[in-house]
Amino acid sequence: MHQAIRDSLKTGWVVIAVLAVLTAVEFLVAVVFDNTAILFTLLLLVALLKAWLIIQYFMHFGQLWKHVSDAWYGMLIDDPEIDREED
Amino acid sequence: MTFHHAPRVNHRFDSLTINRLGLWLFLVSDASFFLALLSSRFFVEGTTTPADVDQLLGLSLTVLLLLSSLTAYRAEVSAEHGDLSGAKQMLLATIFMGIIFVFGVGYEWHAAFKHFPPSTGFGTVLFTLTGVHVTHVISGVLVLILVYFRVHSTDSVVDNQWSVEGAVKWWHFVDVAWVFIYPTLYLIR
Repeated sequence: MHQAIRDSLKTGWVVIAVLAVLTAVEFLVAVVFDNTAILFTLLLLVALLKAWLIIQYFMHFGQLWKHVSDAWYGMLIDDPEIDREED
Repeated sequence: MTFHHAPRVNHRFDSLTINRLGLWLFLVSDASFFLALLSSRFFVEGTTTPADVDQLLGLSLTVLLLLSSLTAYRAEVSAEHGDLSGAKQMLLATIFMGIIFVFGVGYEWHAAFKHFPPSTGFGTVLFTLTGVHVTHVISGVLVLILVYFRVHSTDSVVDNQWSVEGAVKWWHFVDVAWVFIYPTLYLIR
């Protein structure tokens, strides 16, 4: 198995382990805290953290910026090389 | 004779860029729909959660969906590196867990009709949120099944890479939606 695959799979296991811990934490938080405001805040923080982990590592959100910058600069700036090829 | 240049077409956007940007735009718009539904829970029912809510089932569904995200991720990694056999196995595992999740929600609905029917405030919220979400899950399972047969029928890694990636991204989105639905329906009080 290539090193790149091993690294990717390791990332998957680490993320799922952290997600499992966070799920246990939110369950315990709901058992322990009675104050609605505190409970709401903690549950929201944990949910945001879990969502960020999934979006960042499983959905590869980082790769999106390259596409966004490609699209943005592609719309604004003419590439001289493409111009030469077309002429 | 004078030649006029046709309007220039920018060729720098490859299909992968367009596919990914298009999918992300769709996911963001769909997320706003879930956000509206989640906020309606607090508008309709405040933070009140009935004691009859099956906490164990909610936790089990959450664990199941998170595990299915791992298998979906592994399917994508396998397809990306040309291991189509591994990708198929992981897609099957994801499909299997997705189907169990749908049955789990069905079981939840069966119990919910007794304790908090749709005519009650919490019942309205529960059936709407889980109903919309399970529709997404079913569509995700169907897409994963289609992608599985596509991978099964062709050996081309390049042809299959985006189809696996797109289906898996959709599946992760369904998971992210549940990450917020679970505490909103089961844990807050």
